[in-house]
Amino acid sequence: MLQAIDLTKKYGDFTAVKSLNLSIDPGQIFCLLGANGAGKSTTINLFLNFIGATKGKALVGNMDVKANPKKTKGLISYIPENLMLYKNLTGLENLGFFCGLARNPLSKDELEHILLQSGLQCDFIHKRVHSYSKGMRQKVGIALARARNSKILLLDEPTSGLDPKASNEFSELLLEMKENGVTILMATHDLFRAKDTGTHIGIMKEGQLLENFNTDSVSFLDLESLYLKHMKN
Amino acid sequence: MKVLKLLIKKEIKIALRQRLIRIMAIIIILLLSTALWAGYITYKQQQENVRLAQEQRRSEWLHQIDKNPHTAAHYGTFVFKPKTLLSLFDFGLDTFTGTSKYLEAHYQHEFMFRPAQEYSSTIRFGQLSAALVFQLLIPLLIIFLSFNSFTSEKENGTLRLLMSQHVSYSTIATGKIMANLLILFSLLIPFFTLALIFSGSYANTDVIQNLSFRVLLLLALYVLYIIIFVTLSVWVSMLSKTSRNSLLVLLSVWVLFTVIVPKASTNIGTQTTPLPSLKAFRSAIADDIKNGLDGDLSAPERRKELEKTYLEKYKKDSLHQLPLNFLGISLQAGEDYAGKVYDYHWRKLEQTIEKQNSISSWASFISPYIAIRNLSMGLSSTDVNAYFHFHKHTETYRRNLVKKMNMDLAENSRNGEFFEYKADENLWKTITPFTYTTTSVKRVITYYFIEIIAIITWILLLLLAIYSYSKKIKPIYA
Repeated sequence: MLQAIDLTKKYGDFTAVKSLNLSIDPGQIFCLLGANGAGKSTTINLFLNFIGATKGKALVGNMDVKANPKKTKGLISYIPENLMLYKNLTGLENLGFFCGLARNPLSKDELEHILLQSGLQCDFIHKRVHSYSKGMRQKVGIALARARNSKILLLDEPTSGLDPKASNEFSELLLEMKENGVTILMATHDLFRAKDTGTHIGIMKEGQLLENFNTDSVSFLDLESLYLKHMKN
Repeated sequence: MKVLKLLIKKEIKIALRQRLIRIMAIIIILLLSTALWAGYITYKQQQENVRLAQEQRRSEWLHQIDKNPHTAAHYGTFVFKPKTLLSLFDFGLDTFTGTSKYLEAHYQHEFMFRPAQEYSSTIRFGQLSAALVFQLLIPLLIIFLSFNSFTSEKENGTLRLLMSQHVSYSTIATGKIMANLLILFSLLIPFFTLALIFSGSYANTDVIQNLSFRVLLLLALYVLYIIIFVTLSVWVSMLSKTSRNSLLVLLSVWVLFTVIVPKASTNIGTQTTPLPSLKAFRSAIADDIKNGLDGDLSAPERRKELEKTYLEKYKKDSLHQLPLNFLGISLQAGEDYAGKVYDYHWRKLEQTIEKQNSISSWASFISPYIAIRNLSMGLSSTDVNAYFHFHKHTETYRRNLVKKMNMDLAENSRNGEFFEYKADENLWKTITPFTYTTTSVKRVITYYFIEIIAIITWILLLLLAIYSYSKKIKPIYA
C-alpha cells in the first residue's frame, strides 16, 4: 500500500533521504525510529507530496504521488506531531469541515459517534478546540482518519508530549485501525511505543534506512541496544 | 465548488467568533449610522434653509422699490447652492467651498458662509461622513479581518492539514476572499438597500441628475474598493511569514494609501502648478479690464470705439441724438468686456486646478483611496467640478440679470438719464428665479476616467498577483 523506491531527497549538498526502499502492507504499523534530522519527517512529507523527490518514487496504493496527487491524498490521513485544528471551531465542527473537504460529508450524529469512538470525552465534543489538550486533538485526528475511511495513516511523532495514559489510549486506537486493515507509517522517537504498537520497525540515520525488521523478532532490550548502537556510530 | 463553500463557511464562522472583529464591526455600523443620520439632518436643515432664504431673497427682489435698473443690478440678489441628496453621504468640498453667493453688477463675489469657518482646526482631519467610514474605516476593518487569514493557518499548522486534503492555495485564497466579502456585504447590505430605496423616493425632487444611477454607480465603486482591500490583505497575509509582519505591512500600506500618497500628490500639485493668490487674481482682472487683454484696446479706447460704432450705426453726430440711452449701452459693454476678462482668468485658474487634480488622478494608481475619494465626491456632486459647474451657472444668471437691467436702462430712458429713470416690479418679474441642476453623470465619468481605470487595474493586478503566487509558491514544509 505504501512503497518507497530508491526515494531520495536532497537540499543542495545535504541529503535528507538517501535511496530509501520500503514497502508497507495493509494491516501493518511501520515505525520509523531515528534521531532528529534522520529523515523521518521528510519521508512522510514525500509520501504526502508536500515536497518533491529528487530521485526515486513514493507510491501510495501503487500510484506515484507526484503523478496522482489528488487520488493519493484521498487515500491518506495525516496526523502531525502537534495536530493543530481551528481553535475557534469545536471538535465536531473541525471534524465536519475536514470530512467535507475529503468529500465525505457526515451527519452531526455520525460525527459525534466517531468522535466518541475515537475516545474524545462527550462534554468536549461541542467545546471549542482551544480548550483541548494535545491528546484530545490527536483523538480528533484519529476520528478524522476513521471518518474518512482512510486506507493509509501517516503519523509524525503523534505521541510526543502525551502523558502515558493518553499515549496508551492513542496506541489502542492505532491497533484497532490496524485490525481494520489500515496501513500505518509512524515516525517516532519512542522505542517503547514502537515496540508496543508497531508490526515493523525501521531505524533511520542521516537519511538512510539502516535496519528494517519485524517487531516480534526483537525484544525491547535488543531494540534499545540496536538503536543506541546505530546512534553512537 | 463544494470545497469552496466549506472554506467560506468555516472562515465566516471563525471570523464571527473573534471578539475584535465583532467589536470593530459594531463600531463601524454605529459610526456609519451616526454619519448617515447626521448627514440626513444637515441635508434636511440646509434644504429648508436654502428654500426659506431663496424665498426671502426672491420676495425682496420682487418687492424692491421702483429704482434705476442699474441700481437694481447693484442691489443684486443672493443665490444658494442646493445641497444634493448624495452630499449627506459624501460632504466632499461643500464644507470648504461655501453655500451662497451674492450676485451684482460689475463684480463676481466669492462664495460665502463656508461651513468650515464654524469649526475648529480639527476640521482639517475631515468630518465624520459615511464616505469617510467607507473610505478609511472599512479598510481598517478589512485589515483586521484578513491580516492573519493565511499567517494564522501557517502559524497554527492548519494549512498543512488543509494541504494534506489536496486543497490548492488558490482555492484557499478564493475562499478567504469570498468569506471576507460576504461578511462585509452582510454588514453593508442594509445600508446599500436603504440608499437605493431612499434615492428612488427622492429621484425627481433632488437637484442632482440621475440620482438612482449615481447611487448604483457609487455602490458598485465601493464594492470594487472593498474587493481591492480584501484581496490585498489576503495577498499580504499569503506572502507574510507571521501575522505580526502581515499586520504591520497592511497598516503601513493603509497609512501610505490614505495619508502619505494623498498629501504628497497634493503637495506636488501645488508646488508644480501653484495657484495665484486671491489678491493677484483680482488685480490681474482689474488691470486687464483697464488696459485690455493682449491686443485689445484700453478702457477709454474701447468706450470711444463704442461711441463711434453707435453713431455710425444710427448715422448721428452726437450721443444725445441716439434713440437710446448710451449710458446703458456703455454699462453693458463694460459688463461684457469684464465678463470676457473674468472668463479668461477663470479658465486659467481652472486649468491650474485641473493640472493639480490630474496629479492626484494619476496617484490613484499608487493609492486606490484617492480614486474612490475623487469618484465618490464627483458622483455626489460635492467635488471641485461641481463647484465650478455651480459657479458657472451663477455667473450666467448674474450676467443675464445685469444685462436685462442695463438694456432696460438703454432702451427705455432718455440719453444721459440715470437716477431720473425708475423701473418697477414689471421689470423685476422678468428675472426668473434661480434654479440649479448638477452636472451629468457622463461628465463625472469623463472627468474621473483615470480613477475608474486605476480601480479596475488595481483589482486585476491583485487577482493576478494572488493567483500567480498561488501557483509559484514553493512547498512550505521543505
